[in-house]
Amino acid sequence: MRLIHPSRRAVLQMGAAAVFAPAIARSASAQGLSGTVRIWTFLSAEGTSPREVVLRELIQGFTAANPGVQVLVEPQPFQELETKFVAASAQGRAPDLIWMRDTFLSLVHARGALANLDDELSDSFRAEVLPDLYQVFANKSVFDGFRTSLPLWPSPAQVIFYRKDVLGEVGLDAPPGNWDAFVPVAGQLTKGDRLGFGLPSNDNSVSSFVNIMTGFGPGIFDAATGRFDVTGPEAVAAAEVVRQLVANGALSRTLLNAMGDDIQDQFAAGRFAMAQAFAPRFQQYRNIAAAYDPAQLSVAPWPAFGDRPPAALLGPYWTVGLSARSENRAAAVAFLETLYTPAASLQWSRVAGLVPDRRSVQSDAFYASPQAEVIRIFAGLLDSPGALTFPQNLPDITRVFPVMNIALQELIGTDEAIGAILGRARASLGW
Amino acid sequence: MRRLNAPVLVIGCLLGAVVALGPILWALSTSLKPTSRIFAVPPELIPSEPVPDHYYRLIAEGVHWAFLNSGGYAMAAVALSLIFGVIAGYGLSRYPVPGRQLILVLFVGAMAVPGFAVLLPTQIMFVELGLYNSWAALPILYAGHVLPFAVWVTRAHFNAIPRELEQAAQIDGYSRAEAVWKVVLPGARPALLAAATFGFLHSWNDYVTATTMIDSPDKRTLTVALIFFQGFHGRDWGALMAGVIVATIPPVVMFLLFRKYLIGGFSDGSVKG
Amino acid sequence: MGTALVGPALVFVLAINVMPAFYGFYLSLRRVFFFGDEGFVGLQNYTALLSDPLAWEAIGRSLVFSFGALAVAVPLALLSAMGIRRLGRWGMVLLTVVLVPWAMSPIVVALLWKWILVPSPGGLMGSLFSALGYPPRDLLTDPVLAMPTLIAIAVWRNFAFATIILAGGLGQIPNDLYRAASVDGLHAWESFRRITLPLLMPSLLIVVSMLTISYFNEVQVIIGLTAGGPIRSTTTLAYQLYHTGFVELDQGRGNAIAIVMFLINMLLIAIYIRILGRQPGGAT
Repeated sequence: MRLIHPSRRAVLQMGAAAVFAPAIARSASAQGLSGTVRIWTFLSAEGTSPREVVLRELIQGFTAANPGVQVLVEPQPFQELETKFVAASAQGRAPDLIWMRDTFLSLVHARGALANLDDELSDSFRAEVLPDLYQVFANKSVFDGFRTSLPLWPSPAQVIFYRKDVLGEVGLDAPPGNWDAFVPVAGQLTKGDRLGFGLPSNDNSVSSFVNIMTGFGPGIFDAATGRFDVTGPEAVAAAEVVRQLVANGALSRTLLNAMGDDIQDQFAAGRFAMAQAFAPRFQQYRNIAAAYDPAQLSVAPWPAFGDRPPAALLGPYWTVGLSARSENRAAAVAFLETLYTPAASLQWSRVAGLVPDRRSVQSDAFYASPQAEVIRIFAGLLDSPGALTFPQNLPDITRVFPVMNIALQELIGTDEAIGAILGRARASLGW
Repeated sequence: MRRLNAPVLVIGCLLGAVVALGPILWALSTSLKPTSRIFAVPPELIPSEPVPDHYYRLIAEGVHWAFLNSGGYAMAAVALSLIFGVIAGYGLSRYPVPGRQLILVLFVGAMAVPGFAVLLPTQIMFVELGLYNSWAALPILYAGHVLPFAVWVTRAHFNAIPRELEQAAQIDGYSRAEAVWKVVLPGARPALLAAATFGFLHSWNDYVTATTMIDSPDKRTLTVALIFFQGFHGRDWGALMAGVIVATIPPVVMFLLFRKYLIGGFSDGSVKG
Repeated sequence: MGTALVGPALVFVLAINVMPAFYGFYLSLRRVFFFGDEGFVGLQNYTALLSDPLAWEAIGRSLVFSFGALAVAVPLALLSAMGIRRLGRWGMVLLTVVLVPWAMSPIVVALLWKWILVPSPGGLMGSLFSALGYPPRDLLTDPVLAMPTLIAIAVWRNFAFATIILAGGLGQIPNDLYRAASVDGLHAWESFRRITLPLLMPSLLIVVSMLTISYFNEVQVIIGLTAGGPIRSTTTLAYQLYHTGFVELDQGRGNAIAIVMFLINMLLIAIYIRILGRQPGGAT
């Protein structure tokens, strides 16, 4: 057994309070909290980006209300959070709270590294807050009745950013919502040094190819295995779309392994009319816009195939979990809960332009204001009929995105037959 | 012939200098531009209004701590490898050691094995030993990487110092250890400096070992801290280039100060054995 | 006494450089994924690796990268070594200048070149392209150009190191030989071919073997610049090891690659030691 942590008593008191006195207001019961809450996230407590600013404010507010608690943010590279957490967990030095992408939840959960939040969250939180979250995200964290994490910053994840001024050149307000119409438009928008469409194809947690496939709806994922059919008709149709975009010049054959960051840098310089981008970066895109008027930047869902509604693949997104080995659960959970207060939701929206976690907050006047225009668009995408998430058990999560990215690069950069490229990807995955 | 080649030679040299230093000067220029001027077209080779903002930003984000960590790790690694290296180099030079040939081959081999090839098992091993993410992890690993070179180069220098000098000191009443300290080590100063400089450069410049062995922000090295500036919010080229400059100054200064010994150490250590 | 003095260093080196290789071999016989050991699988990681055409392609690209870089670095180093010797005092200044990139961290070099190569009209290379009348081009995302670009950067980083050793080697060739040659009326090229090259051969071989090992294991520059792409065109075996072990977290298979890398390194090192041993005055 480990040494009893000084805060163990506080934990017991908290537990007793939670069981016997649910009516006590949380702020009152939190008075007895103490110790350190370690957090692993990709945000830094010293950072200056909008989300970092809000996180710092929330921490300051929390420690002011709980002077006995120290909240320690230990930022990690965002692609390595889950890996480092599992390694740290095996060694008994895991942080109390951990930011994870939804796609890694099943793997991290399988390693036994996460606590069941249903046993930890306060009754009032479970009664009031959980039902107020976006259910599509909140439910995805529950594995057979085990709540592994809470979703944070509901977001349509990878969407299409476009310049209204450029689409205006061909008489459109927004990109067409169907691939048959989208492809020729993207080709027309290529002009001089500017490309019609930019796809990142070198990030380890994003696959444009899967995003294109989502134009067929959630049916592309097998309910039992979580896989999609890498060589099936939907994949072939997606590959054909890519080939058409290459043929009409919308995609460049020499822009193959751009990462999201490269696309972002080059979008700022006016290289693209439309590009795949991570929705929460919208503000950053506007801030660095150099070759065009930032007010012209807007957001669209992914085109669909056939008569389906435009698609929004809601992931990967961030979730926050509690370490199974946390020795300061009471304080950690109390801090976790403060991320979801109506005030916090409003702050995330105001400062960082994010859709609020608490749906009820959207009745605030702020969301009707012009500044909240993009938030309204994002919120619309979350509720759109074409919205879907990755399956809870998408297998081979560390490999599927790199493998599909290489297939996408091959589709763009070579003339090899589609069947051969997809067949190789399938073989690489062993699916 | 010599006269005829002179202009070609001069042009070649200038070109070489521009190619070698140009990229670094471009980084310096970028690091001093305000963010809005970084992507200016056409690029400003010399910032029209230099600002130190990006350097302040590094400090605001605590990069100076990582800088100190890198320096501390490098110095600890140098100290460790010199202590072990000098003792072993002296032993190999002055005493009969069974399996001497084999040991020498092993050191040359280890000098050439890049740490990266065994990094993955090392990581898992360190996790199991509890050394992962400890303050000792990087100094131990770097010292292990540098040690073979330290042994090799000090041995070569000890070989070149006549035994008679030591014996004379011993006749004067010094113990053997004192004789080594007073006579042999000062004589081998170039070798010590070569090993120390090489060790510092190796440790300071590493990235893969540091990023796979450390997760606590307070233990991070400068190279790892820098990579954060191309993190989740996109790349911040001004801060990145400021970081490039800051990360480049210590090794380049070390190199400029001790280049004579380092260059000598390499040509002796490898060519003459 | 000698053993007692050498022992600690020997144990240290064995523990850090050799023991992980054995432990890696043990792990390579198991299925280890995401830090979870799923048991003994025998040689399965190796058979899967050796039957994977992508692994062989990666080995091929390691050869292209290593020998491509060698083919540029060695002649360049030789030329600059000769120039440096001829320049005398100024030669040392020049040598110091071209060695500065070698003193830099490889990952910092990667960041620096990533910025230089940004395919924007505001980037250094982009503006060079437009000055020459071409559109900005991303050398790192073009499947044909990515590898040559990486090779050029790898050479930029460390060819000067080869220059040191070659300049040292040139210094050991007696000047009398050249004087005699010019008395015999030999042209510059002939005296290079008949005197310089044969007498410099020991240093050249050392340079070649050291650089081969260094290029074969180059990974930080690839991580920082291309991450193995586009279309695997810069996925060398060293990068494949990084990707499999640290990105895909297939640690069993990653260790199998590490062992293959280790054995290839051993082979290269054995050649290197043989060359070193043949030197007059060589210790081994």
